[in-house]
Amino acid sequence: MLTLNYRDSEPIYGQIKNGLKKLIVTGALAPGEKLPSVRSMAASLAINPNTIQRAYTELESDGFIHSIPGKGSFAGRRQDEADQDALRLEALLEKLRELVAELRYLNVTTAELMAVVEGGLNQ
Amino acid sequence: MIEVKNAVKTFEGFRALDGADITVPDGGVYGLVGPNGAGKSTVIRHITGIYRPDSGEVLVEGEPVYENPAQKALLAAIPDDWYYFQSATVADMMRFYRGFYPAFDTARYERFKEVFAIPEKAVIRRLSKGMQKQVAFWLTMCCRPRYLILDEPVDGLDPVMRRQVWSIMMSDVAEHGTTVLVSSHNLRELEDVCDHVGIMNKGKVLIERSLNDLQENIVKLQAVWKPGEAPVLPKELEVLHISHVGRVYTYIVRGKAAEVTARLEPCGPLMLEALPLSLEEIFIYELGGEHYAVKEIIL
Repeated sequence: MLTLNYRDSEPIYGQIKNGLKKLIVTGALAPGEKLPSVRSMAASLAINPNTIQRAYTELESDGFIHSIPGKGSFAGRRQDEADQDALRLEALLEKLRELVAELRYLNVTTAELMAVVEGGLNQ
Repeated sequence: MIEVKNAVKTFEGFRALDGADITVPDGGVYGLVGPNGAGKSTVIRHITGIYRPDSGEVLVEGEPVYENPAQKALLAAIPDDWYYFQSATVADMMRFYRGFYPAFDTARYERFKEVFAIPEKAVIRRLSKGMQKQVAFWLTMCCRPRYLILDEPVDGLDPVMRRQVWSIMMSDVAEHGTTVLVSSHNLRELEDVCDHVGIMNKGKVLIERSLNDLQENIVKLQAVWKPGEAPVLPKELEVLHISHVGRVYTYIVRGKAAEVTARLEPCGPLMLEALPLSLEEIFIYELGGEHYAVKEIIL
């Protein structure tokens, strides 16, 4: 479910963290869905279990996953889906900002950009 | 825990170990790295109880390991140069190992038949080098050791098998808290599996730290300065290496990325970027100070 890029400057635990975060915000891992155990993840990626534990711990403190002792880790916050939507919204807006910045760099004018946005809204 | 304390070993006047100190914490995966002839295999042969140190101590769970069957039963090793009896088959060696290791897991042995796909009746010495190494893993992993000692373990294995054996080992680490000590030159691979690293040179351990610690305390910076401006770095920065291509300067600096960047920002770079170092780069720069570097010889 994750691919690691060994030429990336991002450390492995960061790649696992971001990879899982992406799966969660895009909904590929639905809220409440069980994540692979640290052991099975360590075995399938052939990396140190402590590295995976570190990624899981940080994801939990960032509120993307929660763990239930003796049962494992699950996607999303424990309580409601409102938080989920907020996360998704933030991620999508961030993506949009990135796209706008890139288009700006390619000398797209504000008018052209607005036209695209309006076209999308009217559809 | 495995502890090597100030171990010295001399072979006909040559000090192979010159006061080596190693601590392998329980449940850790410890990577032992160093140039050829640094003493890695010698340390490993002390830990497996083959050599007796001239002075110093080699302890497994607090007890000396040399001539100590109780401690040796806790550990299993794959040496760099293994030995199988003349015309022994895999099944023969399994019975041999089972006789020595009280925790030998016969059910696991059966399950591994599928993983390794080597006929049980095959005479080990007639197998290829890589397949012999697979047999070594097959038998060793079935001993269910608390401590697994590996000297260049994956040399000779194909990429699929390498991943397969690491996968088995990592799952044992996660599930049973197996402690692993591994020496290797494949730093790329060690970076994935290790959480602790010891760098050896000339019979001593130069650095021993957790991998996170090691990678967070040395940083690679790429900086671009204004044209014609000779960059003078603040004196308090410990710069290990400087190189440049055109106006792009690369610095290897000791310290945390955020602190070093904060120090350099006032110098007014056009661009400044901190990059994490790979274990391979750390190895090269740390040993570079020890007069050990790739010599640029053109033949």
